[in-house]
Amino acid sequence: MVGIISYGAYVPMWRMERGEIAKAVGAMSAGGSRAVASWDEDSLTMAVEAGLDCLSSVDPKEIDVIHFATVSSPLKEKQASSLIASALDLRENVRTTDMTDSTRAGTMALQSAVDAVKSGSARKVLVIASDCRPAMPASEFEQVYGDGAAALLIGEEDPVARIEGFYTLSDAIPGPWRRETDLFPKRFEAKLDRNYGILKDVPQAVGELLKGCGAEVKEISKFALYSPDPRGYLNLSQILGMDAGRQLENPLFDTIGLTGTPHCLLLLIYALEKAKPGQRMVCASYGEGSDAFLVTTTEKIEAIKGKQKGTGYISSFRMIESYGRFSDFKKVPEAESAAGAEMTSLVKYWRDEKWGIRHYGMKCNNCGTLQYPISRCCMVCSAKDNYREVKLARRGKVFSFTHDYLLGCGGVPGDGLHACTRAIVDLEDGCRLWREMSDNTLQEVKIDMPVELTFRLIRRTGGFPYYGWRVRPVR
Amino acid sequence: MAKGIKDKVAIIGTGVTKFGEIWEKDEEDLLVEAVYEACSNGNVDLQKDVEAVWIGTQYPFSGVSGGAFTEPLKCFGKPVTHCENFCATGMDSVKNAAFAVAAGVHDIVLACGVEKILDMGSRGLPGLGSPHPLTVGMSMPAMFGICANRAFKEWGWTEEDLARVPVKNHHHGAKHPKAHFRREIDLQTALKAPVIAYPLKLYDCCAMSDGSAAVILTRPEIARDLVGSGNYATIKGIGHAVHSLNPFSRPDFTGLSFPSNVRAAQMAFQEAGITNPRRELDFGIVHDCFSINELLSYQDIGLCKYGEAAGLVREGVTSIEGQFPINPDGGLKCFGHPIGATGVRMIVELTRQVLGKAEGYQVKDARAGFAHNLGGPFTTSMVTVVGKPDWEAGG
Repeated sequence: MVGIISYGAYVPMWRMERGEIAKAVGAMSAGGSRAVASWDEDSLTMAVEAGLDCLSSVDPKEIDVIHFATVSSPLKEKQASSLIASALDLRENVRTTDMTDSTRAGTMALQSAVDAVKSGSARKVLVIASDCRPAMPASEFEQVYGDGAAALLIGEEDPVARIEGFYTLSDAIPGPWRRETDLFPKRFEAKLDRNYGILKDVPQAVGELLKGCGAEVKEISKFALYSPDPRGYLNLSQILGMDAGRQLENPLFDTIGLTGTPHCLLLLIYALEKAKPGQRMVCASYGEGSDAFLVTTTEKIEAIKGKQKGTGYISSFRMIESYGRFSDFKKVPEAESAAGAEMTSLVKYWRDEKWGIRHYGMKCNNCGTLQYPISRCCMVCSAKDNYREVKLARRGKVFSFTHDYLLGCGGVPGDGLHACTRAIVDLEDGCRLWREMSDNTLQEVKIDMPVELTFRLIRRTGGFPYYGWRVRPVR
Repeated sequence: MAKGIKDKVAIIGTGVTKFGEIWEKDEEDLLVEAVYEACSNGNVDLQKDVEAVWIGTQYPFSGVSGGAFTEPLKCFGKPVTHCENFCATGMDSVKNAAFAVAAGVHDIVLACGVEKILDMGSRGLPGLGSPHPLTVGMSMPAMFGICANRAFKEWGWTEEDLARVPVKNHHHGAKHPKAHFRREIDLQTALKAPVIAYPLKLYDCCAMSDGSAAVILTRPEIARDLVGSGNYATIKGIGHAVHSLNPFSRPDFTGLSFPSNVRAAQMAFQEAGITNPRRELDFGIVHDCFSINELLSYQDIGLCKYGEAAGLVREGVTSIEGQFPINPDGGLKCFGHPIGATGVRMIVELTRQVLGKAEGYQVKDARAGFAHNLGGPFTTSMVTVVGKPDWEAGG
């Protein structure tokens, strides 16, 4: 039977206390903290991280289809899933789809995945939902939103949870919306959106789902739901008639905020991580309608535990100390060096995908040295055209480092005040490379410090977003 | 069997501008000044006597191609070669000019260099400009900061050990009329300065400066006719080695020693017949773009064992009053580093020292010395030995 065969998650390192936001903008605090993507992260990079987590014990070459679901793709015209597939080192003939524009896109992607597997057109489908939604400064959304990503691998081989039913409901309700040219979402009438949107659609979809599966609310161990605001969770619990304390999965509002498209999937993963075999769970999204699906965990649920970082990312965090710094993370980093623009070649970026994005090095057949990047002649013995390409490790330790105040990360001229940490890293497989570091404090960086690669926005030059790998402290 | 260059080439004319933030002048002003000074004290006429020219510039805004020379000087119709080899750009022009004389192709040649760094802005050298968007590069101080952290770890060197290098070089440069910075600093000043690339601070890094330098080279027999014996020096050896552009990915990278340095020094000293530079030579000019580089290069060049360089500075051995002065001119620390000009200026300094013309910063009884560049990410290194015509190694 079709089900979830692996899962993964990603929540960025940074948190912002809502009280700090409230103080800075003169608003009431919604309490707790929210997750904040670093300045070099977006929905695409976080999707790669969640995908890596999900595939940590799966051969990426087995993936037939990848769906990327988001309402905050960094690209309006250009597919994100093709680059995500490359960063995950999926096969060249993988089917890539971006599913966008509705926070329901993640569950729609999931339904497509289930259909593809059932029809036999694909064996393993990777669904990644990720959002890094822009919020108007000082608006309630600035506090409510959080950034994060969730990934589910769908297939028939040894599922950890069987997908037993699906119900979808489409509803052309007007709000909220964001036009092509809008920086932030707008809404017209919150009360209408609430009463005739989420509070109607989600209960209706869940009700029909349960009916179709022959299940009752009380049999469901966890409801993993999405609501665009924290109050919606209380309302939904009441309308559905569940015991909120026992059955409603923690909305994670206090720790990371509401992540949008990935949110109900993230909550489902959170529930799966604690689940025992034979538990039934309902996951439901919202966004111009609602999709609800029911899963039952299998005995395999125990074996997968601990193989992923999963929602463990929630408890691995650093606080952003001020609203000013938070704004700095959220602004569009348009600073770019004029000289850099001249010197950057998009052609080279394209040509070197194998080592730049797929993270391969070369192993010399003559002297055996594993090295990076790929180059025709060996850097040690100079043997010409005598190597094989090797997928490199993602963890290693710092050989040496510096904090560079003169040249910023991504080739942006330094301002003398903010340092870019640069590290030479010896990977676990013995390959040496050098990378910029993200998510670190200056004080913690030491020789021999363990680090891991992380997919990031490296630079914007000439208007193009160049993605690639940095390192971060191991999380 | 190649016979080498020892004593085949004489340096008869030297010219050097004031180095510093020279906002009011462009590369043309500087180059004209340095070239005419070199021609004048070499007793040659640029248009009539100079047969060929090598010009060093690193950055395109200071000039491109042979036209970087012909246009400012309005000196047309001669073979002019533009050299670029990172921080060894200037010294490489001298090398190529010297080779032309030694080969007997030309009798009188000019090697010069100029850089108008400030025309590109005053905030650090423009990056090496990796054209690859994913190898975003790092600043020059970052490259050396990485080395300093290794040296701290391996040998227990400290930030104070680094700071003693600029303190020494400022002590020297204070007496040089053409230096950018002509003042002494104390250890506390250096230690309290802002960080540029940890652990390197402001005084660990050379400044952004403009400048130009030029030398006239010829055969020794012509030199005697033009300036008289006693007024020219000869080249004793030139070593040059280019290593990787990507040292940080190399499994053999230590951050403590640079293969290009080691090889360049070996080549130069072998040609000059030197087995122990610290005993046989009288002084040196070492590429102190960053304090840590001066220290690490001492070791690669063979002035002391690995790990001992910091001690050499601490004990005053390399002060102008010491047993083996390094950077008696004040070094890059006091002159800044207009890339194309630096290596040529070092040859000017060697010549003036061995001729006893380094007024105010003269090394006592200097008969022969060496100059050293290390450029790029430890990529290109050059060592040139210059001495009195009758100087022989082994002394």
